[in-house]
Amino acid sequence: MEKPTRRLSRRNFIRSLGAGGAAAAAALVANRPGKDSTTENAAARNSRGYRESAHVRNYYRTAKV
Amino acid sequence: MARMKFLVDAERCIECNGCVTACKNENEVPWGVNRRRVVTVNDGVVGAEKSISVACMHCSDAPCMAVCPVDCFYRTEDGVVLHDKDLCIGCGYCFYACPFGAPQFPQAGAFGLRGKMDKCTFCAGGPEKDRSESEFKKYGRNRLAEGKLPACAEMCSTKALLGGDGDVVADIYRERVVRRGKGSEVWGWGTAYGPGKAGGQPPAKGA
Repeated sequence: MEKPTRRLSRRNFIRSLGAGGAAAAAALVANRPGKDSTTENAAARNSRGYRESAHVRNYYRTAKV
Repeated sequence: MARMKFLVDAERCIECNGCVTACKNENEVPWGVNRRRVVTVNDGVVGAEKSISVACMHCSDAPCMAVCPVDCFYRTEDGVVLHDKDLCIGCGYCFYACPFGAPQFPQAGAFGLRGKMDKCTFCAGGPEKDRSESEFKKYGRNRLAEGKLPACAEMCSTKALLGGDGDVVADIYRERVVRRGKGSEVWGWGTAYGPGKAGGQPPAKGA
């Protein structure tokens, strides 16, 4: 009886495609730059003094009325 | 680098004392100490009554800093004048030197014994670790480290009391003066720039 090698190799090929795609998606998520709020929170932890945060910008906007 | 400043628009202040209350509440200022207060001049005179909110103005050349015998004052990178209560001896020299009456002294005992000086910190805390319990206990809330501005300025309902980056605050005030179409009535303007040089004066007719 002939071994269905071609069928198996096709399955392996499709599996490898799926695994590669998942790895690429994971890499994209890991390397994505942080959102603005995350950056702002990090800055808030490191900063000691004044910075023009969204809160401060909103105050300046209201003072212009 | 931004330089923190307060500016009081006497045309807008309605003497509501919201700034005083906001400061007392935000910093849990002890009884008998007022870091900020509202002063009214020409009280009851129609058309001449003006109110201004007064506290430490965080002077660029601070007299309190110059006279302190134990050198407890320091200036932050943002131009905020702060002091170290661990060094302060409560002598009161800064109170006599300050033109705004900003330094306050809690009564520490009998016979008028003064405690350590207390004043407006521009809601920037003190030398202790930012937003620590000891900082709050000695100096009040550190709103600047939270990315906010002083509670008094943010609370002001008419935005008469402006606080923040001096350049931005000056621009906001300049726009107001131009829109009003008359000279600025900012407190201390005459002293700083001399009489007859108020900004925002409309050009004379035919000029």
